[in-house]
Amino acid sequence: MYEHLISSYIVGFIVLNVLLGLMAYMTWFERKVLARLQDRLGPTRTGPFGLLQPLADGVKLLSKEDIIPANADRLIFLVAPVVSFVLAPLGAAVIPFGNSITLFGYNVNLYVTDINVAALYILALGSMGVYGIILGGYASGNRYSLLGALRSAAQVVSYEVVLGLSLIGVFILSGSLSLVDIVNEQSRTLNFGALQVPNWYILSQPLAFGLFLVAAVAETNRSPFDLPEAETELIGGFHTEYSGFRFSFFFLAEYINMIVVSLLAATLFLGGIDGPIAAGVWWLVVKALIFLFFYVWLRATLPRFRYDQLMGLAWKVLLPLVFLNIVLTGLIRLFGIGAI
Amino acid sequence: MSAQVLVFDILSVIAVLAALGVVLARNPVHSAVSLALTFVNLAAIYIILRAEFLAVVQVIVYTGAILVLVLFVIMLVHQEDLPEFHGGQPLQRVFGFLVGLALLGEVAAAILTRTAVGQIGPWTPQQGAAAGGNVQALGEVLYSGDVLPIQATAIVLLVATIGALVLARPDVVVVPAGMARQVLTISLGHPRGDGEEETFEIPMLPAGTTTKVEAGERELVMAKSGDEFTDKPAWGEHRTR
Repeated sequence: MYEHLISSYIVGFIVLNVLLGLMAYMTWFERKVLARLQDRLGPTRTGPFGLLQPLADGVKLLSKEDIIPANADRLIFLVAPVVSFVLAPLGAAVIPFGNSITLFGYNVNLYVTDINVAALYILALGSMGVYGIILGGYASGNRYSLLGALRSAAQVVSYEVVLGLSLIGVFILSGSLSLVDIVNEQSRTLNFGALQVPNWYILSQPLAFGLFLVAAVAETNRSPFDLPEAETELIGGFHTEYSGFRFSFFFLAEYINMIVVSLLAATLFLGGIDGPIAAGVWWLVVKALIFLFFYVWLRATLPRFRYDQLMGLAWKVLLPLVFLNIVLTGLIRLFGIGAI
Repeated sequence: MSAQVLVFDILSVIAVLAALGVVLARNPVHSAVSLALTFVNLAAIYIILRAEFLAVVQVIVYTGAILVLVLFVIMLVHQEDLPEFHGGQPLQRVFGFLVGLALLGEVAAAILTRTAVGQIGPWTPQQGAAAGGNVQALGEVLYSGDVLPIQATAIVLLVATIGALVLARPDVVVVPAGMARQVLTISLGHPRGDGEEETFEIPMLPAGTTTKVEAGERELVMAKSGDEFTDKPAWGEHRTR
């Protein structure tokens, strides 16, 4: 019994460290891709291709002064960035990185844990994550920060509804909330005569996939839904008063959230570790990279939404579509077409 | 087993301390944060009891949605405008104490009778596992036998939503002087306009008045608020005759 626990901790430790390393290089990736899309070079001075840039950024942020405004609510101001940062990588705990393998005579599962409410668990973490932002904005004692925090609260609460409901189609088809079960279900091959198609849910749930993608971008506060940190209107938003390493906690939490959401999207809709040749964790990485590139691409391409447009989109466009998807999927499942 | 009891003890101590923080904190935001901590600890206790679905739903609904909206409201209201948290008349205090005591007695009675006399339901852990897990078992119970209560709940929630919309809609629009100028802007940070409470009357012109401008004749629109503009075309697009 304890062997299982220990192997879970070891896998969790590795996943956490890989995630933190990836997070640093996600900033490099974003700067490089963004620069290329804007006809620039991006970081080039630090190491080959600017590969040491994240290290330089880290040293810079660590050595900066940690300023607490006189008007701040001191305790909450200190705790808020930590809340953001701690909650961000927890979502990766339920993502399956492979099936179980045998190592030194022990049976090791390549996921930290398989709970039967895994997908809801990630949604719950997302809904907790907003506390970091809203408390940070409030505790700064600054009108602009408070405005950013309030925008964020309204935005995340609205888009969480869409995000959660867009997954229901997947749950109906797979009959489970566990990500391991969902991945196993997707690794089947469907035969339509001579045509062989993987059972990936992007093919059977295209509408849900699109809605999930939009809601996920809004949920992670990324452009074009980055209203909580609109520089031009709010001088930065909820993190205006933060400096040094506390600022970087907010900043890095955003990048970890992006990575976790990309992994989740790849797991739920693109078959996770399943692939045409030699299924394994590399397919998951490739699929997640596609989503991460998509994030950066969006930021380089689209202007920011206006606040009322953002809320109108969630409640008047996405929510009816997501209900339509649930009804359609339910009907298809009920009349047996989905159970091929 | 002993490890489980130890974890439960830690969680319950934190939960109770946080619940005390809700009542004792002077700042309402601190109270709300303490309440969030209580909720999360309760969710962890549910997980120990193998009720994962309940735990996750508790965090999503209470911590993630309701409490965030409560924080939203607290932050928008000026601290000075809130009623004094720990003040009140002596009589109020005594009455509040008695009501709290009665509530505590009720909860204690419920718990005691339930554990001493109540019968164990038909769903044992084995049956839950046979249905495919907690979530599946819960779904079977809720959506096979209890469909009607669920739909009744949904209708009650819908009524509450519509009621909130109706209540929030002002029937008489009285515009403070400061806000009349802020046409079509959304201001989250200034719930009371810019502080000027007096209202002013925009002089009314007789209906159908037109005024001469260079490129022909247009209807002159005098609006008291931004809403009156919305069903009228913008300047220059619409011309009379």
